[in-house]
Amino acid sequence: MTRPAGFAVLRAGRGSFLLHRRAALVAALLGVALAVTAVAYLCVGESFVSPAEVVRVLCSAVGGGQPSPDEFVVGTLRMPRLVVGLLAGAAFGVAGSFIQTVARNPLASPDVIGVTQGAGAATVAAMTFNVAAYDTLPYVSILGGLTAASLVYVFAWRKGLHASRFVLIGIGISVALGSLTQLFLTKGDYLVAQQAKVWLTGSLNGRGYDHAAPLASILLVLTPALLWAARAQRTVSFDDDTATALGVRLGRVRLCLTVLGVVLASVATAAAGPVDFVALLAPQIARRLTRTAQIPLLGSALTGALIVTIADLLARKLFSPIELPVGVFTAAVGAPYLMWLIVRTRSRSGGAR
Amino acid sequence: MTGDSTTGNRLRAEGLVLTYEDRTVVDGLDLEIPDGRVTVIIGPNACGKSTLLRALGRLLKPRRGSVLLDGAELARIPTKRVAQEIGLLPQTPVPPEGITVSELVTRGRQPHHKWWQQWTEADERAVGEAMDRTATGDLAERLVDELSGGQRQRAWIAMALAQDTDLLLLDEPTTYLDIAHQVEVLDLVRQLNRERGRTVVVVLHDLNQAARYADHLIAMKAGRIVAQGTPDEVITADLVHDVFGLASVVVPDPVTGGPLVVPGAPWQHG
Repeated sequence: MTRPAGFAVLRAGRGSFLLHRRAALVAALLGVALAVTAVAYLCVGESFVSPAEVVRVLCSAVGGGQPSPDEFVVGTLRMPRLVVGLLAGAAFGVAGSFIQTVARNPLASPDVIGVTQGAGAATVAAMTFNVAAYDTLPYVSILGGLTAASLVYVFAWRKGLHASRFVLIGIGISVALGSLTQLFLTKGDYLVAQQAKVWLTGSLNGRGYDHAAPLASILLVLTPALLWAARAQRTVSFDDDTATALGVRLGRVRLCLTVLGVVLASVATAAAGPVDFVALLAPQIARRLTRTAQIPLLGSALTGALIVTIADLLARKLFSPIELPVGVFTAAVGAPYLMWLIVRTRSRSGGAR
Repeated sequence: MTGDSTTGNRLRAEGLVLTYEDRTVVDGLDLEIPDGRVTVIIGPNACGKSTLLRALGRLLKPRRGSVLLDGAELARIPTKRVAQEIGLLPQTPVPPEGITVSELVTRGRQPHHKWWQQWTEADERAVGEAMDRTATGDLAERLVDELSGGQRQRAWIAMALAQDTDLLLLDEPTTYLDIAHQVEVLDLVRQLNRERGRTVVVVLHDLNQAARYADHLIAMKAGRIVAQGTPDEVITADLVHDVFGLASVVVPDPVTGGPLVVPGAPWQHG
């Protein structure tokens, strides 16, 4: 039976699905790596808890009862923070994959084109001027992200969306929004500013289930949209004319993917702060692993979660007792990798296009 | 799939006005594409021939007038429905990075897909046939980025074929190809038309290739149709001079007996 190279066909009744074999394998391996990292994350800290004990606590977490010291450390101190990290990382990864797909440019990611900066500016404004209740901050953040994205869109739109103009305008907007955030910080109360600054570097310190809850619920609500998007991403990877010739409603698909990406990046920013480079790196790493013709959605989500978890683990432990914000770590690791990525892709495709 | 024997041809244009920004490229053009024939559109650079093809394939929305498919205005038909009837290959299509030939060809099935039916028997048949026709079977697992110009063009045509449409629009499919590959591609186009009765519209630069492969020839100049008909009717020294501003002699093609344009005025000795 013929089928496209590298794909398996799954049949169920009248349904038939194409499964990219390598992408499926990579997703499974990433899942295993993520599970191992998560257990390691829960083991390590000021006191070491053995992996067996961590697994036991995880399994009995639902049961309840009187918490032992280990249960307290793992279940109450480390677990909520891990959950925020996992969800935020996955959300950043997915957001990056959408925006990069739409812009057809690996440099376009929510943290480069000003979305996270917009979310950041809005949140810091709300914090310093004390205009929004604490639990509405995620929605303020979404509002900020969407506003920033609309600004980029309005300025970059010239009878069509040109990819490189989109990125350049986005960088401009993000710098402007960064200055705005600085302005808010200097105008606000000293203590609030201090708190906002830690948040702005992207820190999981002191994050708990109340930060994870809005993120989790929004991810859950968006699940059908994400399933649609996983397929729609393939269709917009051609040039405009070819995609239209294949019956794709380009404008609509792009708009939906962009809004999804912006919302996810903003909510993740609200929960964990702008953890730099995750949205930029995760989709690119995932794509190099799966070698698919489009950015793999599940792979990006898992890679994003993995990056944030590992980075936060290192941030907690490497210079202990000093704890660094996770954003410092993703930036320190992400920036050189990004440069290497650019150099490598340029030398490889040099002259080809 | 044909409309219930509507008189006339499936693809038509009426009072077509096409503009880019404020520049009018095609102004008030009426056109009918004969069913089951190879139609070739020729004309000098910037005469609007590619623009016209883009409009016929709903890539460009008419400023005024309309393109009609089976009597219905193309702009009002859902784009996915159009994609089930009209296949179109742009002049310089850009493949997704890292896509294999067989996956590219499979993408041609997209307009026929439902999310829960991604690989049906019809898909398998159409993709297999498209790859056989274009001799891309050996390239199935290769990356499109790594192919030579001729191989790449065959892969793209295979994708358009897998779309399995009655109408096929090709915008300068021979650009960037050497002479042997040009002939190969045009032979393929001709064969598709002969065997399956597909309606093909091709924009070509080369007058002699146009004359050889067209059943119906449309000559354009400055956004208007100057002449149309069989190559014998259309290709004359007068027309070549009128449309291209080129002095030439038209002689019988030694292979086909059709018209052959030889540029230049006859040699005057002495």
